[in-house]
Amino acid sequence: MVNSLYTKPLTLDARGASATWEDCIMELAKKLIACLAILAFTASVALAAEGGNPRKGKYLYKKTCRTCHSPGKEGGDLTPQSKTQAQWDRYFKENKHKAKPGVWEKYSPQDLKDINQFLYDHAIDSDQPETCG
Amino acid sequence: MRKLFAFLLVALLALPATALAANDAQNVEGLRKQVKDLSQRLDEISGRINKNTIKRAVDRFNWYGDMRVKADTLHYRDVTFNPGIQVDFTDFANKAMNGDFGDPNDATSPLGQMLAANPALATAFQNGQLQGIMPYAFAPKKTYDVDNDILYTTRLRLSFRAKVWKNVKFSARLNMYKNWGDSTGVKVFDSWNSYTMDGTDGGNTTGDWLRVERAYFAWHDIAGSPFYLSIGRRPSTYGPPTQFRENEPRGGTPSGHLVNFNFDGVTIGYSLGRITGVEGQVLRFCYGQGYESQWGNGELFNSVDTRDTHLGGFNFDAINDGTNFLQFTLFEALDVTDGFKGLIAFPTQFAQFFAPTLNQDLQKFPNFNFVTRVQPSTNIGNITLGGIGFSRKEMNGINWFGSVGWTRSDPNGHAGMFGGLLSDAVYKAQLNQDKTEIIMKPAGATSDAPKNGWSVYAGIQVPAPLGKAGLEYNYGSKYWTPFTQAQDDMVGSKLATRGHVVEGYYIFDINPKMFIKVGGIYYDYNYTNSGSPVGTPQKVSDVKDGKSYSLLPVVDTAWDGYASMTVKF
Repeated sequence: MVNSLYTKPLTLDARGASATWEDCIMELAKKLIACLAILAFTASVALAAEGGNPRKGKYLYKKTCRTCHSPGKEGGDLTPQSKTQAQWDRYFKENKHKAKPGVWEKYSPQDLKDINQFLYDHAIDSDQPETCG
Repeated sequence: MRKLFAFLLVALLALPATALAANDAQNVEGLRKQVKDLSQRLDEISGRINKNTIKRAVDRFNWYGDMRVKADTLHYRDVTFNPGIQVDFTDFANKAMNGDFGDPNDATSPLGQMLAANPALATAFQNGQLQGIMPYAFAPKKTYDVDNDILYTTRLRLSFRAKVWKNVKFSARLNMYKNWGDSTGVKVFDSWNSYTMDGTDGGNTTGDWLRVERAYFAWHDIAGSPFYLSIGRRPSTYGPPTQFRENEPRGGTPSGHLVNFNFDGVTIGYSLGRITGVEGQVLRFCYGQGYESQWGNGELFNSVDTRDTHLGGFNFDAINDGTNFLQFTLFEALDVTDGFKGLIAFPTQFAQFFAPTLNQDLQKFPNFNFVTRVQPSTNIGNITLGGIGFSRKEMNGINWFGSVGWTRSDPNGHAGMFGGLLSDAVYKAQLNQDKTEIIMKPAGATSDAPKNGWSVYAGIQVPAPLGKAGLEYNYGSKYWTPFTQAQDDMVGSKLATRGHVVEGYYIFDINPKMFIKVGGIYYDYNYTNSGSPVGTPQKVSDVKDGKSYSLLPVVDTAWDGYASMTVKF
């Protein structure tokens, strides 16, 4: 059904010449590919520091961290919203659970990255759901 | 800070002992210098903390926001304009035969003028063929394509939050949404999408004005209970599951499949999850007002005969654990009107059809459209909406969702210029006040029977190189009538479509605060008046064939290709 849109000849006034839909689409596609190539470069540079899976991080956080870091528990209540994004990053880079270093060593580097990503994504200064409650 | 003080204290206490023990003047001097340096640093830090404390105390709220710049290429196919109305010709013939409209053979009488201007009508009248309710065409049918090769828009959203008290929060969002090269705030009324009004101005280009899209407070844990209360201009746009295509967290409370409309009201919520243990489980009762019938409508002239439109219903987040989301919605709008208070630029075509005298003057100003305020003329009935939506975020990064919606209309048989509730207006002929011209006035609706509509909406979003790709589909039946008119799709709310819609997109996540989205939406309309509760949804093919009429142009298919860049700050 979509193809039928492209088969009709079209006169583009702005160009002052006749062009078919195929021509228009091809031209748009070329421009799009050029833009995407530029984007691919810039985006890949920007994303080089990422790598954590927030969904796995959430699973690990709930399964392990929350066992101590809940209201009334030994570690006290600690949620993603307890810190800012920068504070969480600093915590994973510098603090590394100084209070109990042994806990830290149980996790693989990828696990830690996943947890860090989850906490970063849901930090107090992250985008939050815009609901009334 | 405590650590710093402790260190200083230890340093001060240790100073004499160290000096005596070592008896080393050089060390004492060195330690004194360290203490002095630390004191200076402490003073500096204290000063900074004071500044931050003062700033935090006087900064009553936190600002954040986003800006989206978008380019759309819009292509409408087989747009048909076949204007006409349904007229009670039995009533017309009776009045004409009775002489109410003057002598048909007198060219100066109202009836004589009308028959002279409409030869086909005159022939039918003379042959006695005018009986029952029949269509009355205003102009010959026209079918054409419309291409808008490029349309740029900018949407700026400034949001802010304030913690009023430990359990009271305030949130607001100011919105500017404009198309490039236009800040008039009004459009020529060629569709219900071209109507500047309270409920849709958050998702409709309305110039460079910053409007309050939402402003509300939320008072949680009232008296220590799981109840909360929220009042104000509601967060009732961009609700789930539309947040996936918006590439942002959930943007509103109600289902975006049923409601994407700015309205003012109240929510009383109950955090049921605190009892059941189900994460994010909340039951809400929502109430709102969609139309105020008196205030601002010239009530002191005592000529208002419409009633307010009120909405109420339940919204239940059964599961909302960050991975699974299940929501049930059921609400009703009472005393729906045949339109809203709003601003339009008057289409000259309507003068041609309805106001010949006005049309004579407007022909001298072909590119002028006077801006006028419109308000509803009557209440047309009630609408009930219900739906179930589910979405899930898989561990591998895939998001998917499905939603079904149902709408039911209960018309009261009344109609305004554009019709009744999912029914057409039946016009009756009458003389104007000075009895010089026959005018057509809506006298009722073609039907007062209840009508049910339904819709399905499904989509998937998968991780892809540099971002994610998404595919969505929705279908709406003949009588599907959701309140999603504020959805900011340029062709019109895709979720209000009575027909099929497919959308594909690719999102490039440049960084956590910026993304580029490239995609396209294809609309295949089966029935007319998508997004409007007013008027009978006619088969698009019937309008194209000249069998049905519409006062507004009818689109058969449309294609919207777009690219946008969004920056959050």
